[in-house]
This record gives sequence, C-alpha cells and structure tokens, in this order.
Amino acid sequence: MIQMIHVHKTYPNQFFTLSDISLEVSTGEFVFVAGPSGSGKTTIMRLLFCAEKATSGEVIVNGIQITQGFGSIHQLRRTMGVVFQDSKLLQDRSVSENVALSLEVRGQFGKGVRDKVSDALFEVGLQGREKDSIFSLSAGEQQRVAIARALITHPPLLLLDEPTGNLDHQMTTDVMEIFSQLHQKGTTIVLATHNTELLHQYPYRRITLQAGKRVEEEKRPDAVTSGAPDI
Amino acid sequence: MFFLRYFFRRTLQNIRGNLLLNLGTISVIAISMLIFSAFSLIAFNLTSLLKVWEDKIEIIAYLKRRPAPGDLDVLLKNVSLLHGVERAKYISSSEAMSFMETKLGSQRNLLEGVQPDVLPPSLEIQLAKEYRNSVRIKEVVSQLRQFSQIEEIQYGKEWVETFSGLLHVVRVTQWILGGLLIAAMTFIIANTVQLTISSRREEIGVMHLVGASPAFIQVPFYIEGLVQGLLGAQLAIVLLFLLYKLFFIYIPLPVKESLEKVPIAFMPPETIVWFLSGGMVLGFFGSLVASIKILKYSG
Repeated sequence: MIQMIHVHKTYPNQFFTLSDISLEVSTGEFVFVAGPSGSGKTTIMRLLFCAEKATSGEVIVNGIQITQGFGSIHQLRRTMGVVFQDSKLLQDRSVSENVALSLEVRGQFGKGVRDKVSDALFEVGLQGREKDSIFSLSAGEQQRVAIARALITHPPLLLLDEPTGNLDHQMTTDVMEIFSQLHQKGTTIVLATHNTELLHQYPYRRITLQAGKRVEEEKRPDAVTSGAPDI
Repeated sequence: MFFLRYFFRRTLQNIRGNLLLNLGTISVIAISMLIFSAFSLIAFNLTSLLKVWEDKIEIIAYLKRRPAPGDLDVLLKNVSLLHGVERAKYISSSEAMSFMETKLGSQRNLLEGVQPDVLPPSLEIQLAKEYRNSVRIKEVVSQLRQFSQIEEIQYGKEWVETFSGLLHVVRVTQWILGGLLIAAMTFIIANTVQLTISSRREEIGVMHLVGASPAFIQVPFYIEGLVQGLLGAQLAIVLLFLLYKLFFIYIPLPVKESLEKVPIAFMPPETIVWFLSGGMVLGFFGSLVASIKILKYSG
C-alpha cells in the first residue's frame, strides 16, 4: 500500500534533512514510525499525504506515484484519513459539522450524511454529542472527533501523526483501542509517535528514525496484521 | 443542487463571520461605483444633449442665382446622391425672407422695403449621422465645391469643431475614468477578499486535509465577491438616486428654470441592470484575483 524508495528531503537554508529512507507498508498492516522529536517522523507523514514533495526518490501511496508532477492531491487525500496531535477541528462548528466535512467535500449532503455522522461518532464513543460545540469537549474527546472525521469515509489508509501526544494515559488507551479495532477491520494504519510506552504496549511493526535516517526496524514476534488483501 | 445550497450557506456564514470586513468592502465598492455612476450620469445627460445638437448639424449651400426649374431638379438630385447627404431641400429667396421675418418676430418691420432678391437662394443639406462631425463634414463640403452653381458653403465650422471636440473629451474621459475605477475596485475587492481568506486560513487548511478540491474551497469566495459587488453597486445606485433628487430640491430657482429647457434624466433601467451586472463581475474578478494568490493547493 505504501512504498518509499531512497527518499531524500532537504529544505533550503535548514539543517534538517531526511536521508535515503526506504520503507514498505502492506495493506492491513499497523506500523509505528518511531523516533525522538526532530527525527523526521512528521516529514515522512507529510510526504505520504502530499503536503510536501520529496527532493529525490519515489513515494507510492495506494499505487499512485506521488513524487513528481502529481496534480490531483485532493483525490489522493480522499483515499486516506489523517489525524494529528492537535486535532485540527474547526472551532466555530459543531461536532457533527466537523465530522460531516469529510463527506461534504466529496459532494455528500442531506440525511445520509447525518446517519453516517452518528455512526462515526458511535464508533469513537461520542454518540449523542452531535450538537456540542468543540469548546465544550476535552482534549481526548476532540481527538476522537478528529478520528471520527478521518474514519467516516472508511478510508483504506489512516495516517496518524502523534495522535496521542496531548492525551493522558487513560485517553491514550481509549484512542489506541479505537485504532486497534479499525486495524482489525482491515484499515492500514501508520502511526508516528515518540511515546516509548505506547511502542512497548502494542505489538505492531516499528520503523525507527534518528536524525532523519532510518536506524532500525523491528517486527515484533507477536505483530498483528488484519489479513486484508493487498490493494 | 445540494452543492449550490452548500455554497450559498457557506457564503452567508462567511459573510456573517466577517461582517465588519464585508461591510467595509461593500462600502468601498459602493463609494467607488458612486463616483463612476455619478460621472456616467453626467456623461449620459451631456451625450443626450450633444445628440440633440448633433441632429442640427447641416450645410447651407448658397447658389449664384435662381436656377431654372429643370436645372433645380437635376441639382437637387445630384446633391442628394453625394456620399454623406441624407436630404437636400431648396430654399428660394422669398422662402428665406419669410423665414427671416418669422425669426425677427416683432422686429420684422426692419425688413420693410427690402426685396427678397437680396437674399440668395440656397440648398439646405441634411447629413447622414456618421457625417455630422468636424472631420467627415469636410468630405461633403469638398464634393459640394465641385458644383459650379454653388457660390458659398456654410456649416458653422468652428461650432462643429468645438462640438466634436467636446463630445470626444466626454467620451474619452468616461472611458479613462471608468478604466481607472474598475482597476481600483478590482484591487480593493481582491485585497479585502484576501483579508477574509487569510482570516480563514486554518479552515482552508482543514478542508485541504480532508480532500476538498480547489473549486470546492474557492466557489464560496467567488459567490462572496459576487454578493459584495452586487450589494455595493445597489448601494451606489440608491445613493446616486438620492443625490439626483436632492440636486433638484436644493438648486437655486434661476438655475432650475434654465434647466427646464434641458431635461436631466436618471439612468435608464437597462443601464442600471448593466451597472449591477458590472458590480457583480467586478466582485467576482476581485475574488478570483485574491483566490489565485492565496488558495494554491499546497497542503
């Protein structure tokens, strides 16, 4: 589902570079991208959802070569869900309006959307909170709204960049439980984190970065794949 | 249909969310368009007045002597066939005398004892519309000079040249001022829309993130520009109409009396429709310029 082949990323007038990164994520896998702050985790995620272009090398997502001359970024993003550390919710809109946004940009409106929003909120444990304002929610609840917005379109791929970074232990456990369930249903998940506790707690493959280089890959003996077919 | 409803709902929410900024934009558009429309109204009335005068431009060709009846018909026919001549009419010496008496009115006794033969017979030549200007009237005059029966030609050369010059100045000024105001309004609208877009940068970023197409993000801004342009143009028309009415209320009586002979009209309905459409086009164009600059799909 994801392939990065000898990818380099440099920024003008900046010290940081991403050097010769190659990795592969199969359909149905749950993979951690681990490493300390500044190691290049977020850069990899930004390359995968086309917020940036690689300086050299190849990036292939869902069979689409996105490194050079790829025009239809929004079409690519419709094949994935993205969640960040800061939930990136629209503060002036209600919970349901935030979640419905993913469908509205795809031209879906009306009662069908309301039903799907309710289902997505049920999945993240926020049923009945449709009309609440974002301000009235805790950080964990806001992150769940962001997850509902990402999963409402049933994307085959979820990119999660430090999704538990602002959450306490209990909230982290709750949110990780949602991701585990989605993975069991066949969703491919790439989760970037520096939380070592999380890495030890969950039995998924780990790709570790250090100063923009890939230093280690560990496939845990008990690593789990959902068994979904490759796209 | 759902898309349209969504876009209009978003546009209204955007306007409500940035009410002060939008009111500012609409006011600036209204003031700019008021200046333009006021000048257009003056130009419109001046052009109407000039058109009335334009219809009066004609050539008088004085004949050497009274032509024989057969020769007169040939002369009239030949003159009528010239390029630029719409109609030619023979004025005999006695008709010229009667005309003069009518013109003198109560002072007609000044003409007592004067024989009609003193006034030469003439041809009154009306010109085709496109020849009623200082340049093309000369083409007709030079053709008339070829006729041996014609002694002298008068067409109020200085007056025609002044009139043509004035008409030209009014039209050129209208276009230059119009062009400048259009450029200024586009710039103003583009900048204010840019401000509203900047104030919603976070929202636009989230929409990019969830897969919104550039058109999906841009269309509400275009509609916002259309609405701003339409409301601004409407406000300008209303203000202009109030000024037009106030002008007649507050002008001194002697000026008012002299203006009765020169009717001053408000813009005709079709011009108002054009004006409102122009406001919408400007609003749209301003939004387009702003969104091209800001809404590039960078992620």
